[in-house]
Amino acid sequence: MTKYIKKRLIGLIVVLIGITFLSFIMSNISPVDPAEAFMRRNAQTATEEQIENLREEMGLNLPIHTQYLRWLTNAMQGDFGKSLVSNKPVMEEILSKFPATLTIVGMALIIIVVLTIIIGVLCASHKDSLFDNLTKVVTILGVSIPNFWLGFMLLFLFAVSFKLVPVVGYGSIKNAILPSITLAIATSSSSIRLLRSNMLENQNKDFVTYAKARGIPKKKIIWKHIFKNAVPPMITLFGQTIGYMIAGTAIVESVFSWPGIGSYAVNAIFARDLPVINAYVLIMAFIFVICNLLADILNAALNPQMLRESGDL
Amino acid sequence: MSKKILEVENLRINVLDGTPLVKGVSFRVCKGRVLGIIGESGSGKTMTCKAIMQLLSKKNFDISGKIEFKNRNMLDMKEKEINKIIGKDISMIMQNPMTAFNPMFKIGNQIIETLMTHSNITKKDAYDIGVKELEKMNLDRAHEIMNSYPYSLSGGMLQRIMIAISLMLTPSVIIADEATTALDVKTQSLILSEFERIRDNDIGLIVVSHDFGVIARIADDVIVMKDGEIIENGTVYDIFDNTKDDYTKELLSARLLRKEVS
Ligand SMILES: Nc1ncnc2c1ncn2[C@@H]1O[C@H](COP(=O)(O)OP(=O)(O)OP(=O)(O)O)[C@@H](O)[C@H]1O
Ligand SMILES: [Mg+2]
Repeated sequence: MTKYIKKRLIGLIVVLIGITFLSFIMSNISPVDPAEAFMRRNAQTATEEQIENLREEMGLNLPIHTQYLRWLTNAMQGDFGKSLVSNKPVMEEILSKFPATLTIVGMALIIIVVLTIIIGVLCASHKDSLFDNLTKVVTILGVSIPNFWLGFMLLFLFAVSFKLVPVVGYGSIKNAILPSITLAIATSSSSIRLLRSNMLENQNKDFVTYAKARGIPKKKIIWKHIFKNAVPPMITLFGQTIGYMIAGTAIVESVFSWPGIGSYAVNAIFARDLPVINAYVLIMAFIFVICNLLADILNAALNPQMLRESGDL
Repeated sequence: MSKKILEVENLRINVLDGTPLVKGVSFRVCKGRVLGIIGESGSGKTMTCKAIMQLLSKKNFDISGKIEFKNRNMLDMKEKEINKIIGKDISMIMQNPMTAFNPMFKIGNQIIETLMTHSNITKKDAYDIGVKELEKMNLDRAHEIMNSYPYSLSGGMLQRIMIAISLMLTPSVIIADEATTALDVKTQSLILSEFERIRDNDIGLIVVSHDFGVIARIADDVIVMKDGEIIENGTVYDIFDNTKDDYTKELLSARLLRKEVS
């Protein structure tokens, strides 16, 4: 097991270096000059000379690999530089934005798990019932509706028309409900369908027939024998989903003016705030890869056979 | 004539669209005797067994006739009553031991689960009974087996575990559907000797096979099935020595042929 984790950790570092380097190049070949953008925003009349000075100061004149190495060395010490917009340390700002994002991601995850288990199991155990067919329609809508549209619709319905929750705001659980639901719908829809089909697949397995022949009660067969065997493939999906969701909060947070890391990144992109963008990319990539790794480890721990078959675990 | 335990009378199984799979099958299972069911692939042997075990969903099949156990027709019973019989009074040994156990749970868990479903005992007691039953089956290191996952045991071991499970609740009928087919010849022979012991325990045993060798070795009575019907029945001597039926002769000679070849 430890050998496996070590191997994965080395892969992880390679991926992180690759991603950050790519993002570095991308922002470098983009036609907008960050120094110029920064000057124009902060001083109405910026001279060529002033811009040139800033460029020098930011190290933008250095060759790209030198820039990257310099950034990487600092980043490894937790120093991502200062935001060009606020002039505060990027690390500090990102850390202060994280709780807001984690709140809606956490709530979304709870919603996803609860909805998936309840609806997925009901659909599988009542295959082709009215409920199952309705769910099919709703989940197809759920995966195909874009986040921002769904967010606007929910806002319009529950905040504007019914006035059940405030339109915008931050601080209480009530404010977090709509963004969390928006974030949860697409993933719930696909995971409900996945759980349903995994369960149906397991329903015809020999060990289920044998459990029936041993006289095990129906409920126990559904939960212990069918459900538990349908879960491991879901864990991999969840590991990926958490990463996607944290990265995907950008849109939802913008719709709901939610002061999390997503809207922070969107603002940084519009402002060409390079240090923030680079830090954001690194942190997202890190979360993404770690979530995947954790899901795989959990999966291996849950599945004794897999542990043995991949001999190096 | 020994005491009858289970009687199947005019059993018919149709797919809901009307296609008949089993067309009026009747036979009885008696205490301490082995009933062999033989027939070509698709002749309805498994369907008949599944009907007895109540494994066929009413959503997919239309079942009529009588499956009489302790003087009551199981086809008329409520689910609750059925649950008390299946797995306890009538148990089954499955065809493929390698896939019959839930891969995510240890063998002990699945043995304990079965015991606790049918009797009011503690987990600790169930574990002890499980160990004892495994030892009865000539399985050494029973504690180790209880704590093993199915994938780490061989097909022959798993098949013997299944036999132990089928015996541990002292059933009156055991159904073994192709229970030796997936095993190598040596293990097959060991399992057949276990079946002989089951018969000596005053249990009615149904052995399904398309192998005449297996049937010849352990069956007392034999029914021959074809296309969902019984085309011949009698004692094992009637069938093997004096069959009048061409189909049975064909099956027999196919068997003899195979023996010569191998
Ligand atoms: N779920 C099902 N729906 C419809 N027909 C089925 C179903 N399962 C089996 N059958 C059909 O029922 C018939 C009898 O099948 P059964 O499995 O009882 O045969 P068998 O005698 O056990 O054969 P084998 O020796 O191959 O095990 C076959 O023609 C099969 O195609
Ligand atoms: Mg069969």
